[in-house]
Amino acid sequence: MGSGRWSTDVYSAAENYRAATGRSAFAYSDGGARKVHPSLDPRGVTVRESRDSDEHPRSTPIAVLFDVTGSMGTVPRVLQTKLPQLLGLLLRKGYVTDPQILFGAVGDATCDRVPLQVGQYESDNRMDDHLANIVLEGGGGGQRHESYELAMYFLARHTDTDAARHGRRGYVFLIGDELPYDTVKAKEVRRVIGDPLTENIPVEAIVAELRRRHEVYYLLPQGSYYAGDQDILRRRGQLLGENVLQLDDLGAVCETIALTIGLNEGTVGLDEGLADLADVGSAAGATVGKALAPLSRAVARRGRTVRAALPRPGSAGSGSVRL
Amino acid sequence: MSHTIVVDLGYGDAGKGRVVDLLCAGSDVTAVVRFNGGAQAAHNVVLPDGRHHTFAQFGSGTFRGVPTHLSRFVVIDPLALAAEAAHLAALGVPSPFELLTIEEGALLATPWHRAANQARERRRGADRHGSCGLGVGETVGYALAHPDAPRVGDVRDPVRLRQRLAAVHDRLTASVGPLQAPDLDDVVRVFTAFGDVVRIVDSRHLDGLLRAGPCVFEGAQGVLLDEWFGWHPHTTWSTTTFSNAQALLGSAPARRLGVVRTYTTRHGAGPFVTADPALDALPEPHNGAGEWQGTFRRGHFDAVAHRYAVEVCGGVDALAVTHLDAPALVPSLGLCTSYDTGAGRTSRIPIGRRGDLPGQERLTTILRATTPAEVHRPDDWAGAIGDLLGAPVVLGTDAPSGPAALRSGPPHSGAARRTPERPAAPRSRAPGGRRGPHRRRRAAERCAAIGE
Repeated sequence: MGSGRWSTDVYSAAENYRAATGRSAFAYSDGGARKVHPSLDPRGVTVRESRDSDEHPRSTPIAVLFDVTGSMGTVPRVLQTKLPQLLGLLLRKGYVTDPQILFGAVGDATCDRVPLQVGQYESDNRMDDHLANIVLEGGGGGQRHESYELAMYFLARHTDTDAARHGRRGYVFLIGDELPYDTVKAKEVRRVIGDPLTENIPVEAIVAELRRRHEVYYLLPQGSYYAGDQDILRRRGQLLGENVLQLDDLGAVCETIALTIGLNEGTVGLDEGLADLADVGSAAGATVGKALAPLSRAVARRGRTVRAALPRPGSAGSGSVRL
Repeated sequence: MSHTIVVDLGYGDAGKGRVVDLLCAGSDVTAVVRFNGGAQAAHNVVLPDGRHHTFAQFGSGTFRGVPTHLSRFVVIDPLALAAEAAHLAALGVPSPFELLTIEEGALLATPWHRAANQARERRRGADRHGSCGLGVGETVGYALAHPDAPRVGDVRDPVRLRQRLAAVHDRLTASVGPLQAPDLDDVVRVFTAFGDVVRIVDSRHLDGLLRAGPCVFEGAQGVLLDEWFGWHPHTTWSTTTFSNAQALLGSAPARRLGVVRTYTTRHGAGPFVTADPALDALPEPHNGAGEWQGTFRRGHFDAVAHRYAVEVCGGVDALAVTHLDAPALVPSLGLCTSYDTGAGRTSRIPIGRRGDLPGQERLTTILRATTPAEVHRPDDWAGAIGDLLGAPVVLGTDAPSGPAALRSGPPHSGAARRTPERPAAPRSRAPGGRRGPHRRRRAAERCAAIGE
């Protein structure tokens, strides 16, 4: 029976529908699009820039790219609903200064029509529009490989960040369940990105090049086809060492990314970070703790570069993390 | 498992939301289908973890990841829908609109319908009907008089949408006077945005759902508020019996499940024979006094009126009884099995001819002067209610997030269909079924035998 409980205000309704349009799961993809959206097309792009400004004097570039091929099942859709919360979480926790987030997607250049999609570094909710324009191809080659090496090539050679100028690294998170191909193929680079490359590049070389200016992490989510595949974990470990994380609960993807950055920046310890999560009512603590325990030990082992500590915000979290 | 239709055998508020949520938690339900009413529905669901939502235009299976289909019999309010979706998202439902389909033929409630409804109720003063003030009835009445009433499908055609909305504004202003409502441009804009976000489908969509697996048809309001069989004029502009759902089902069989509380309640004006202020001690966290509906009243279990509802519906196959904890809270609570009408005793309300509203109005006059004759307290509430209403009780619940129990009743001799025992055994869903990014949670309900 009625209560008239839900607001019938025309302006807030318009706002809600606008927000839902931005959030509506891959609106561009669901509209039947099978071509890369112009805003995400890597072809002919000089650089994706992450710049300091008066408003954001110490920008930290964070790139999050995920696999959109068939083996990922429903994972890409879940990521699309969760990832818009990443910026707010980072800002609230103060784990990192002035985050600027770039979203992108990885396919298979040997057979997909949309093998690479890369948005811009954004410091406001425009990043959500890039997310909504990602095409979910659902293809892939069925051979446990996707073109992560092509994505890494693009991020290594087509990003320009003020953070790097100040000797600070950005972050790259690759979310997926398969392996990169062994070489960056010149032919694919010419076709997809447009660089006049003539020689293939071994994947180890491109990883090393990317790691000069970015911390690179691999996240292997549960719910994907190859989740927990030991070969894939081992091969990734060879490439990225302890920066390979298994994610039991996809719902905790933003918390995992945020805490990974916090641990690396030295702005938070693992126990403290998990307590922070509990403070804001997040149920992701167990998952995140399990995913990050090895990394936390590794960070402790290798020591951290000394940084000026950031002021920590009060632990009274305003609002709550939505899970 | 076949489909299930859930209706309230009283004046609404019996706990349909809770029942639908439990049905969706206990088995693999393809969709929840709404078949009457509109945004004035208010079905409360409280999850064991404390999350609470009042479902109005989303089905009460939403927390379980079950999609909602709003059929052509539902009056759609795009403004209230947006607010409700935003709240669901805040509670952690990943993409509420992805779980929703709306049939293109459904009527659109507009701010002018709402304003006209409120203006008319104000003028009635003391004779208010107990409307919800959301303009659902106004929308239905307008559509009966004007074939060009705006419908959901119109939001895809900007020119037609604007013409039809302007006509609503002009006609209702002519009939009621100046209306407190937003500008035409703003409404056109937001209705268009609504069309960009929600999935609007034709009538074939429901046929696909019915073939895909078991559907739960979630009724709104209650049979005692039915537009033809309620106590006129204190009724809703909506058919609250099973008939709309049966029209949607066509020849597909469905179990008819009636829902009652262990006591009777009523929102708003209108006859309520067993009302008793002594029962106001019963807690009611989610139903206060609405600005438009008047106060929320409690009364003894009105077996006479609920039996009338069962007869009006053409019988039920099974019952769900909610608030089984109430009798222990109020020792004076009982079951009323007969009336004193001033002209003698009766235990049955006669059923009039459908469409005879003057007859229903005479009934209203008689009921206003009627008092309970016999009230007694049974030992086994669920069993007694099942006997009085002539159907097995298959589901019993107590407080809103307390335990629920299922029990299989003996086959009801009048049931024309297979005996309901418990909600369907889980079916495995074919891979690739469009389920969205939801993980189903089993209800962590402690099941206790009831009435034993």
